[in-house]
Amino acid sequence: MSLGRKTPEFDDRAPLLEASKVRVEIGGEQILESASLTLEKGELVAVVGPNGAGKSTFARAFCGLRRPEGGAIRWMGIDLSELRGRRLARVRAYVPQRAQVPNGVSVQAAVNIGRSTHLKPLQGLSGEDRDVVSESIARARMEGFEDRDLSTLSGGEMQRVQIAIALAQGAPVLVADEPTAQLDLGATAAISKMLRELVAEGMGVLLIVHDLALAAAIADRVVVMSHGRTIATGTPQAVLTSQLISDVWGVEAELVQREGRSALHVEWLDRH
Amino acid sequence: MAIALVASFCVSLAVGAVDIPLSQVIDTLLGRDVPETTSQIIEVLRLPRTVEAMIVGAALGVAGACLQGALNNPLASPDVIGVTGGAGFGAMLIILLFPESQALLPMSALFFGLLAAALVFFIGFAGRGGGNITRIILAGIAIAALFSAATAAIMAAYPDRVPNGIFFLVGGLTSTGWDNLQQVWPYFLVGFVLAVFMIRPLDRLMLGDDVAASLGSRPRLIRLLAALAAAILAAAAASIAGLLAFLGLVVPHLVRLMGGARNQTYVMPVSALTGAALLTAADTLARTVRAPIEMPVGPFLVLLGVPLFLWLLRKAV
Repeated sequence: MSLGRKTPEFDDRAPLLEASKVRVEIGGEQILESASLTLEKGELVAVVGPNGAGKSTFARAFCGLRRPEGGAIRWMGIDLSELRGRRLARVRAYVPQRAQVPNGVSVQAAVNIGRSTHLKPLQGLSGEDRDVVSESIARARMEGFEDRDLSTLSGGEMQRVQIAIALAQGAPVLVADEPTAQLDLGATAAISKMLRELVAEGMGVLLIVHDLALAAAIADRVVVMSHGRTIATGTPQAVLTSQLISDVWGVEAELVQREGRSALHVEWLDRH
Repeated sequence: MAIALVASFCVSLAVGAVDIPLSQVIDTLLGRDVPETTSQIIEVLRLPRTVEAMIVGAALGVAGACLQGALNNPLASPDVIGVTGGAGFGAMLIILLFPESQALLPMSALFFGLLAAALVFFIGFAGRGGGNITRIILAGIAIAALFSAATAAIMAAYPDRVPNGIFFLVGGLTSTGWDNLQQVWPYFLVGFVLAVFMIRPLDRLMLGDDVAASLGSRPRLIRLLAALAAAILAAAAASIAGLLAFLGLVVPHLVRLMGGARNQTYVMPVSALTGAALLTAADTLARTVRAPIEMPVGPFLVLLGVPLFLWLLRKAV
């Protein structure tokens, strides 16, 4: 935090997140050439694309986990470079792809750590903070698991704890990198439902997913990435055309609408 | 553990070459009337030494907890960041090459301990990809080897003076009053304060670098500051008690095995208490087993610590 400079105010009317032409190099190699997206309140946006398209790198860049080489990133109207520490933690929560699972840590203790973003150094949790922690555990549907050791949880339960930690931060935006990649169908459905509930409550949710069918089913908008660029954005129906899927993934597939639900039909093999 | 500490504190003041009843120990501490010789023994000889043992034990316990958290590695101890090797060199330099300036020993051990850690941090944290755990640990092993080799070299050059250094190399406290503590207490203070402020960041780091970053912390900075706190505490400890790195390795494990919890909010303070109690108890043994001859505390610490550790370890697995 720099002294003598006024900390800028968050603008409630600005989009939650506005990222434009973000560029990232890793070890001299251009991983992200030009990636852009916006996120509004009460919206679930899915960033989709093949493996290696730069989805995770993009998310890490706009979340402030990795400094981008170029482009502009604004959270509620404020440039990312002006946001540090607790202020950054209060505007967005990031759920990583692979969680570190320490043993000897209870669900309750882990979510308490998530709430520490609201505390000054050496300050303890207040009654109000404890309420937020219980509420976060409830919203992530982990009630009754408070005293369980993290190392005893299943993959789906651990993912829900990660989300509870993120919710305890109290940020209006949740960014999750492949939250369902290692989960079975039931756990995937449970997480998806929970994320939709958060959106219904007014949060902005950004998902990084490679599963097109899942993205099409739960996202309000999708952002398609390919070779380090964002190449299309819009509703799943408008964007995920057979032509685009063929161009980006090299697969013949079609998004089908039936009774208000969308499903992805894929021609896996040319077997007749 | 707090009770164990108070108990070892009282026993440490009571027993020695001359045994003093506990009631008189308490009377002395409270400033009541006791025989002159009794209060002399306690205030001039035993109290400073017991306080030293407690501070050094607490410092090494906290240093170990900090490092194991920062490097996310259960094998981390002050050896790993070069502090032990550096402090050993600094002390042997004085003992072997400048025996007439014995008073400089604590500062020399402290200086070289911190110098070694600074080299490790510079190599481990500088540039792109700095702060990588494997890199820090490998840098630490290399720097420690360098200082050990230098120590071995001067020991080979002055073999006749080596016995004077054994007390330091295996770790030993001395009854030299408050002089040592007066020289190095600011380092202990800085180390402890920094460590206390690292409790919460280290708890975040325990959930993974990305979660810590999501919570607004900077993982590299946490690692650097926590390792720095450990280096300061371990170097200050080595400067007055010699090389007792074993304590830094084992105490946090004892604490985790006893309580099960891994978060620093629990591990760090309890490590301080456990380290203090263990070293005070071991030092009491070292003073009394062959009284009036005083033995170095290092072997007694191992004698006490290892069975306790192995017993807990057996239960855990």
